[in-house]
Amino acid sequence: MRYLLYLGCVIPTKQYAYEVSLREVFPKFGVQLEEFNERCCGFPLKSINKKAWLYMGARVLARASELGLPILAPCNGCHVSLWETKHQMEEDPYLKSEILSYLKSEGLYKFDDVDIKHPVEVLHDIIGLEKIKEKVVRPLQGLKIASHPGCHLMRPTDIPRPEDNANPDKIDRILRALGAESYDYPDKGGCCGATMLPFSPDNAIKVGAQKILTMINAGFNAATTSCPYCMEMLDNKQDAAKTITGNMEVSLPVFYLTQLVGLAIGIEPSKLLINLNMSPVDEILAEVGVV
Amino acid sequence: MTTEVFTTRIVEELKNIIGVHKPEFCYQCAKCTSGCTANKVFSEYRPHEFVALANMGYVEEILKSGVIWACTECWKCGQYCPQEVAPVEVIIALKNLSIIKGYAPPKALVEMTKNVIEKGLIQDINQVMTKDFEFIDRDSLGLPPLEEPPQMDKHRNILSKFFGVVMK
Ligand code: SF4
Ligand code: SF4
Repeated sequence: MRYLLYLGCVIPTKQYAYEVSLREVFPKFGVQLEEFNERCCGFPLKSINKKAWLYMGARVLARASELGLPILAPCNGCHVSLWETKHQMEEDPYLKSEILSYLKSEGLYKFDDVDIKHPVEVLHDIIGLEKIKEKVVRPLQGLKIASHPGCHLMRPTDIPRPEDNANPDKIDRILRALGAESYDYPDKGGCCGATMLPFSPDNAIKVGAQKILTMINAGFNAATTSCPYCMEMLDNKQDAAKTITGNMEVSLPVFYLTQLVGLAIGIEPSKLLINLNMSPVDEILAEVGVV
Repeated sequence: MTTEVFTTRIVEELKNIIGVHKPEFCYQCAKCTSGCTANKVFSEYRPHEFVALANMGYVEEILKSGVIWACTECWKCGQYCPQEVAPVEVIIALKNLSIIKGYAPPKALVEMTKNVIEKGLIQDINQVMTKDFEFIDRDSLGLPPLEEPPQMDKHRNILSKFFGVVMK
């Protein structure tokens, strides 16, 4: 199993815990990650210029096509964006030839033969739950973990998505394989609010706070995500969420899924950059005796 | 130009940007608005109204108000619309159109666009503080440097053309 590690913008410039935990965990399951220094997939700028967005995505795909390897896109935004780029150009040959003309000027000719995977798919569909279970040495017993898939892991459903929009349960199943508890809850597929940040940070944070409260009300003592945007909203901004909503109850330990897999298979918390999680993660890990 | 010609032209322009989705099938059930993420925090943000106005070409007011930028692109509206309209794609097209018409997007988006043209990424490498009050970044973590991919000059040129309007 070899993938081009396509980190996008947010992970390699800020969300280091995701990158570091991926690089620690995936090789332990025989997944080889190749360096792939490509630039923005276009997702954050689709609203500015759709054609530019398509061109940017196609360029990333074309560079991967040259290298002949599938892409691993750990950011939900990159993952959906690259699939959508492929899909839209299949549907519109005129658009496709226009985008190809830009790529040709850069010496790139082909982009539609590249597969794009998300870590949740690799863990669940390719490595598989049995292999994960075999490696668990520190079961996450006592943790009731809410899965927050994030919008774009599930929608839109007219392109291949890692989680089923009607019944997203792959992350839950991975969590159970790690020895934790996980179950459905209202608005599981709800939004973290990140894309609203440039327009109105306060309201964006209110959206995130609402999602955290939903998980707390459903009886969870922790949550997990596999998207750097969601992590930023649900974990990094928890203190801001308390201030803005005036509700001190907006407090829930949040982990990257790759950090939880790492903990369960015996990797030291420091190697998973648990000290970058701003939510109260140490307390809960100590409480349930994981560390 | 008469108002009628003007609005017809707007409708055509929007359709071109929207592409495969079909806003004209909307029958105003407002299901999109009832589950909308942005509507929960902005009551004046109502996707079914935006779709109706877009279908008629009366979009000047929405563009001027800037309210469309509240959309989180969560795709709930598109998923649950019984008519497969995808209001989110209508709203993205409205955002694109507002740029063409010279309205400014949120400042943070202009900043991201600038960074993408210059560096290829929406933001610089950040120093992040750990809970032990230590500053870390790629270097201190021993992560591989973000080397420039090939052909960046050509890439930059193409991007500058696409995003010229925003940078003015
Ligand atoms: S866009 Fe769809 S959900 Fe929204 S009002 Fe129209 S038909 Fe109903
Ligand atoms: S994509 Fe935008 S319009 Fe649609 S439900 Fe989400 S926030 Fe509302």
